[in-house]
Amino acid sequence: MSKQFQFKLVLLGESAVGKSSLVLRFVKGQFDDYRESTIGAAFLTQTVNLEDGTTVKFEIWDTAGQERYKSLAPMYYRNANCAVVVYDITQSASLEKARNWIRELQRQADPSIVIALCGNKSDLAARRQVTQEEAQKYAQEEGLMWAETSAKSGEGVTDIFTRIAKKLPTTAPPASRSGPGRAGTTAGRTGVDLNKQQRSITSGDQCNC
Amino acid sequence: MSDLEGNFDVIILGTGLVESIAAAALSKAGFKVAHLDNNSYYGGDEANLTLDELARWADNRSTPLEKYEKISSYLVAQRTKFTSITRSSAVPDHARHYSISLAPSLIPSVGPFISSLIASGVSRYGGYRLLERVGIYSSSKGLQNVPGSKGDIFKSTLSLIEKRRLMRFFKFATGKFESSNELQGHEQTPFPEFLQSKFSLPQEIVDAIVYALAFCASTADVTLHALTRLRNYFQSAGRYGASPFLVGHYGGLGEIAQGFCRVSAVNGGVYILDKKTEDITPPSTSADKFVAHLADFPSPLTAGVLIAADDQLPESLQPLLTKAQNTDESLMARCIAIIDQPILFPPVLSSEGLSGDGVNFAPVSSGEEDAGGQSSASTRLASALAEAPLVDTSIIIFPPCSVEGGSSIKVAQAFTTGAGTFSAPEGKYVVYVSIPIKDGEDPEALMEPYLNTVFSLASVSEPLFKVAYVQHISFPSSSTPTIDLPPIFVTPALPPHVAEISDYANSAAESLFNRVVDHLKAKIPQAWTRERSGEEGGGDGDVFAEIMVPMWPPLGDEEEAGEDE
Repeated sequence: MSKQFQFKLVLLGESAVGKSSLVLRFVKGQFDDYRESTIGAAFLTQTVNLEDGTTVKFEIWDTAGQERYKSLAPMYYRNANCAVVVYDITQSASLEKARNWIRELQRQADPSIVIALCGNKSDLAARRQVTQEEAQKYAQEEGLMWAETSAKSGEGVTDIFTRIAKKLPTTAPPASRSGPGRAGTTAGRTGVDLNKQQRSITSGDQCNC
Repeated sequence: MSDLEGNFDVIILGTGLVESIAAAALSKAGFKVAHLDNNSYYGGDEANLTLDELARWADNRSTPLEKYEKISSYLVAQRTKFTSITRSSAVPDHARHYSISLAPSLIPSVGPFISSLIASGVSRYGGYRLLERVGIYSSSKGLQNVPGSKGDIFKSTLSLIEKRRLMRFFKFATGKFESSNELQGHEQTPFPEFLQSKFSLPQEIVDAIVYALAFCASTADVTLHALTRLRNYFQSAGRYGASPFLVGHYGGLGEIAQGFCRVSAVNGGVYILDKKTEDITPPSTSADKFVAHLADFPSPLTAGVLIAADDQLPESLQPLLTKAQNTDESLMARCIAIIDQPILFPPVLSSEGLSGDGVNFAPVSSGEEDAGGQSSASTRLASALAEAPLVDTSIIIFPPCSVEGGSSIKVAQAFTTGAGTFSAPEGKYVVYVSIPIKDGEDPEALMEPYLNTVFSLASVSEPLFKVAYVQHISFPSSSTPTIDLPPIFVTPALPPHVAEISDYANSAAESLFNRVVDHLKAKIPQAWTRERSGEEGGGDGDVFAEIMVPMWPPLGDEEEAGEDE
């Protein structure tokens, strides 16, 4: 029987590095040169099917612009299983910002979080300011996954999300369902989904083994 | 930030729950919102803080004034709102693993607040847990569970005649009591008196109904208000489980305020925290908008309307407000204590549980029962007694005269949350003890007998950490709205009632929302039409589409049509 997992993925990185574009490419296969700066949705979902039959569903949270004046709420990081920290390979300052976000994640997020550092806009390699060696070295030092991507051409996008999907089930407990329930703990079992009314909350993990 | 980007329809100062709900609704309605806060954290007076943040919060409000070179008007206002602050000197380990609420609350499962959570999409961001237990304390009987359902009452040890009277009362309280003979002329009668005279209920049951089911704060609470609340709670039971109440994860309302802010941001709201508002100039003959200057910020922000928490409004604007002539102030003595043992409740013997979600009690696991075929009542009793269930989320009510040395007219409450709501690390519990207090009374002396009782119920001698303070809540005694010109809308204080605060906040935000929208529609119709021109595209992943409640109204025919298409 195939295994199914659902994970919360948060996006981080300086404004205009292409966080939303990366997700839109991954989720919808689209790219828009002139898109506005926020996605306009609570979160997007996309499922990755792995070769061994495992399906990994990502619940992808965009910053909704709240990173711009350093006003991301703690709620954003809660129970995040993985984070994609994006920088722009044509802006060396954006890698510095990415380092800050990674420090913030290491401070705020669950210690088991999987972090991928992602150098976006690889189609603009002619204007490159961040070398692959520099970014890769940093990623290795911090134990991060690393890739270069182009949301515009699609290069590397599916690949990095697939790599995250492969790494996740082995390192993090699966989320029981959308929302912050932690499967296996009392809290995960008794979390209430406000969108599901019921007379009894005994359904879920407890019944029909 | 370009000049164009600095122009907003509304600037909101403060990210308390009311401001945050209003921000979400206004952004969703298509208005450009800039949402600012002096603090580095979200939630204002409803914030959820880590333990080190809480310690800093307490210190900033209690450090002697002469130690400050300069003090912000926000902090000056806060220091009159929160007084008599004391705290343990040492902050325990893993301080960041706590999420402590400045406004502990139970959310009724039916009501305007929960409707807003669902209709706004905020319910998808966070988690909730059912309140597991309601307990009532008396010096003679100690801690007892409060029955939460009709079934529980029949299983209880009450006499048949008492059960009948109680059922008669429940039938009355869940029906249309407004037009009943029993209530006529007694709407303002103290609730305990009403129950005794009209339903001949014994004192013990009266106490449970008045204080533990209707959450009255004193012997003097009036009947109509209490009955209305009670009926709402009865209707709430069963929606998500046995208990009528939900407790939000990570400290509740502060986390939820962050969710509303995210909804605003997703719909274009701009968030700037931890920046001091240096000055805001009101509209004048030369400028038709408020102009806000922030410290260390590239360009000023402008907006036609200003919404502000009373303590976040810059001093220069204070004179523009017509101060309410009289304000009623109520005071609440509060204590937040961290303990490392659970409060021990008597076991629940019925298989259906009591007021909480009895399903997850460890002692009688349904799996074992299934495997064993059947288990007799006696083994169940034995195992239940052997392993007292660990209750994570509970509230204990101390009616008047219930504790030696305690109040004879007021009710104290002890609300406890643990790792089950992610508000404390595994094995630790946050206890919020509160009791109304009068000016001049000694909060520490009043609080002490209750704290000691709570600690003894958890078999701890000392808490790991403790913060005690008095919260002052001012209500304008007249309901006249604040000034119309220039358009400054000041958000009201929230009542400190544990089960009413969320619905009250929602109603306040709704009223604010309606007033601001009326104003904006009249003053800047271009904002209105700009958003209706289709730029927003209707939003195919629109999380708001499902349910419409008054707080998230179909503001115009256009929007409604847009979502149908």
